[in-house]
Amino acid sequence: MTTFINISRLLRSCSTLRTTKHISVRYSGFINSPFLEDVQIKAKYEVTKSPSEWKYVVRILPPLTVPELALRDKYNSTFKPQGDVKDRPYIVCRTKNHMIPVYLKISQRGVKRLTYVRKIQGDIWLLGKELETYLQPMSKRPLRMQVNEFTGSIIINGDYVNAIKYWLTERDY
Amino acid sequence: MHAGKLKGEATMGSNTADKALRLLRYLPRVCLANIRDNPGAVKKNRRGRAQHGGDNHGDGNKGSGQRQNYMRLGHHLRRQYPPLSLNDLQLLIETNRINANQPIDLVSILNSGLYRLSPDKHEFGIHLTDEGADLFKAKVNIEVQWASELVIAAIEKAGGTITTSYYDQHSLQAMLNTKKFFERGVPIPRRMIPPADAIEYYTDPTKRGYLSDPEKISEERFVLSQKYGYTLPNIEEDKDYEMLTERKDPRQIFFGLNPGWVVNLKDKVILKPQNEDLKDFYST
Repeated sequence: MTTFINISRLLRSCSTLRTTKHISVRYSGFINSPFLEDVQIKAKYEVTKSPSEWKYVVRILPPLTVPELALRDKYNSTFKPQGDVKDRPYIVCRTKNHMIPVYLKISQRGVKRLTYVRKIQGDIWLLGKELETYLQPMSKRPLRMQVNEFTGSIIINGDYVNAIKYWLTERDY
Repeated sequence: MHAGKLKGEATMGSNTADKALRLLRYLPRVCLANIRDNPGAVKKNRRGRAQHGGDNHGDGNKGSGQRQNYMRLGHHLRRQYPPLSLNDLQLLIETNRINANQPIDLVSILNSGLYRLSPDKHEFGIHLTDEGADLFKAKVNIEVQWASELVIAAIEKAGGTITTSYYDQHSLQAMLNTKKFFERGVPIPRRMIPPADAIEYYTDPTKRGYLSDPEKISEERFVLSQKYGYTLPNIEEDKDYEMLTERKDPRQIFFGLNPGWVVNLKDKVILKPQNEDLKDFYST
């Protein structure tokens, strides 16, 4: 009995709410609209399957993966493909875009500049030492370098991106 | 009398030169302390870029003057052309991201995935810049939206051809990702003609505009080679003549595909409209 009273009271309170508040009506929506089937296309059209026309479609479709390198005799840009680096104590692998993984990270509003060398395999400590002897004359202060063997990367304080890229390309990496 | 006057002038001229030389003898030497730039040599960068300098770029605050009784003027609606240098283009070609054996246009550069364009931010295409112009060696048939005289010279010196052409925002949207566009199942849009302030650029043969006379362009190719001092490669005798002279129709946005066609990637067929009114609408 008590439950009944409670429900009737609730209903009454609802009815007062309805009279006072505006009810939003949704006329159509994604869920209640019928499924689209058999669209009536009134325009006349011709269906063609000519290979001479389809080749233009294939030509402009974006490739799904990065294209492989086609080796050239001469490169006019700064690019140079990786040479034969099998019998080396360490390797700096190329990225999927065939580029050398040396990056500059600028932080603290342009104040802090760190050079990252990534994708290093093999004797990373030897590479660290060789880079230090190469880069130290460019700096007035002792070079600050972090060699991370686990991630295969070296972080150097300062902007040495172009110098390291040049050094690596000279050695066919 | 006449001759005497001339003689007098000549002597006076030599006197002035002597005077100037004498004056120069007593003047201080030219050094860093007393030289300055020629008038107009240094251009002041008027647009501030720092924390507060870059606030409104000289266009004032939005307010009564800007939005109620006047149009909102300034750079907000200006067309933008994000740069791509000749260096970048050569790198894209040599790393096999662009096929230079076929005509290069905005679609092929966007398909490389290394150039981004946002038509909704009023970006209307590629501005090919002259960085690496001296080292540019690739023979290309390229279509860009903006190019300087030096860039045109660099490309034509290497044996290639260049066209500047305009695409409206709807066409650009279709070109951004062609696969996505074809999957929508809508007809290829027809390209609109350039707006009034761009017509002059795209009808100019010195800019290699796509609406200019081809005969005048071949004239201008020769004139430019004379100006920059190189022998113009004869593309008529080139084995890639067909490729180098392939051009789009002013209403066309993809090579070989006409506006109004619907491309079905699933069934690999092309649907062409047959109604007369549609044919009329999409014709050039």
